[in-house]
Amino acid sequence: MRGKMAASGKVAIAGYAHSAVTRHAPRPLGALAVDVARQAIADAGLTLEQVDGIVTAALFPTVGAHAIEDGISTVTSNWMAGHLGARPRYAAGFQGMGQLSGAVALAVNAIVSGAADYVLLYRALYNPPGRYHGNPMTEATGPNQWAAPAGFFGPMAMIALPYNEYLQRYGATRQDMAAVVTEARKNGARIPWSYWHKRALSREEYLAAPMIADPVGRYDCDIPVDGVAAFILTSRERALDLPHRPVQVAGYASGVPPRRRLPMHWPLDDLMGVGQQTARQLWENTGIGPQEVDLPQVYDGFSPFVWFWLEVLGCCPVGEAHRFVTGGGIDSDRPDALPALSGGGALGNGRMHGVPQMLECYLQLSGRAGGRQREGAAVGVACQSSPHYGGAVMYTAEPT
Amino acid sequence: VTGAVPGRPVPVPDPLSAPYWAAAARHVLTVARCSLCQGYSIPPGQTCEQCGSTDPQFAFTPVSGRGVIRSWTVMHQSFLPGFDADLPFTLVDVELAEQAELRMIGRLLNRPEAPLRVGTPVTVAFEDVAAGVSVPAFSLAEG
Repeated sequence: MRGKMAASGKVAIAGYAHSAVTRHAPRPLGALAVDVARQAIADAGLTLEQVDGIVTAALFPTVGAHAIEDGISTVTSNWMAGHLGARPRYAAGFQGMGQLSGAVALAVNAIVSGAADYVLLYRALYNPPGRYHGNPMTEATGPNQWAAPAGFFGPMAMIALPYNEYLQRYGATRQDMAAVVTEARKNGARIPWSYWHKRALSREEYLAAPMIADPVGRYDCDIPVDGVAAFILTSRERALDLPHRPVQVAGYASGVPPRRRLPMHWPLDDLMGVGQQTARQLWENTGIGPQEVDLPQVYDGFSPFVWFWLEVLGCCPVGEAHRFVTGGGIDSDRPDALPALSGGGALGNGRMHGVPQMLECYLQLSGRAGGRQREGAAVGVACQSSPHYGGAVMYTAEPT
Repeated sequence: VTGAVPGRPVPVPDPLSAPYWAAAARHVLTVARCSLCQGYSIPPGQTCEQCGSTDPQFAFTPVSGRGVIRSWTVMHQSFLPGFDADLPFTLVDVELAEQAELRMIGRLLNRPEAPLRVGTPVTVAFEDVAAGVSVPAFSLAEG
């Protein structure tokens, strides 16, 4: 054991802002992102001149044949700096999977190292006209040649294979998954900026929706949206002088895939094996164990990720997540449950790619969750992407 | 033709993959095999993941084409419009007999009479998708 990471507890979130989540925003994504960045800076009680770090992960997460245009379909940190009028000492973008958790790690490292004192961290998500993942390719080159000619292409087939492995191995069913998606939508319906605000989903609607890649149906997938969220991170000491209660970053961990696979081939044992290592690394880096986490915010860009993350985080035994959820184990209305989707997740907000998980940790641990506030919430974990490629960040209400 | 649906994507062989697609065109399934450790890799890459060699000199070696289903999905939508006419179709995640965890994915060409199960045996089959271009797929094994 190396002990907890040197940065543990030294950096805090000091403020945030979030745009409305819509299918298509009335203005370009970059303009929306600048507005949200300014709101976050003001929320943290800062001025633009004080912001000396800008961090994001700019990936436009699609396999569709869309042009990548800065300020339109993506917003890089350099684009943001120029259009915000900032003069940061440090600007960077995270390139790997687990985009938001990776960007948080960049921000933490920059603050602890002294590369920046006040970091603007944001994520901007774009929904293009036309089909989000549609791709009219007629030639498959490079890695795609091993998969696309056989019809294996895109993230729905990607998640369908390990999901079906799970169903077959543990005797779970799509009926069980209804409990995941209806919980996400119940919580998302309570969130004013959510695309699904006031639109909960019934079990019957879930089960009646069209199949996409059986066993993955329409509502197992987060809906593509335009939306931006921004956070301000700084040292805990500096955050104590700002208006809102600081939420500490206790540490982070990320996964590294175990072996070479076909593009987007994610076998269940890869997901779970590396995911469990990621979780162990998180407990070691933070010095905080799984039994102390009262606000696990699991990633849910596709519904099966909820089961996978619940198991790798130790919220329930491996192979039991479907029963854990149908038994009310993550019901946000039960004080004794683990409210793993209380922030609505991506299924309940729209395809915000890790933002709902991080934001819920911040809002609950800073006491800013309003009517959704949970008494005594102390330790949150925000997960993103797959357990074997993505990452997780732990947040605490109190200094560690 | 304006508005025509694009065809299925055809593989573009490169210096590494050319022998694979040449064999597939003859309806022979091969897998890249490291010339040093004899380990198989799907897909082949810049190094051998079995022994770590940076000069594996992969040889595409004919394999039995036998394997078992580890998972499957029934595609009701494809993001590749060239597959629209084939919907719905089944993709199978197959562990080949030659090496543990040596997995490839292909279409299941014959419609199963009984529900698929993990461990169901399959054999390689081929789809001729263009002149001189065949793509490996799978069929349920006889008996």
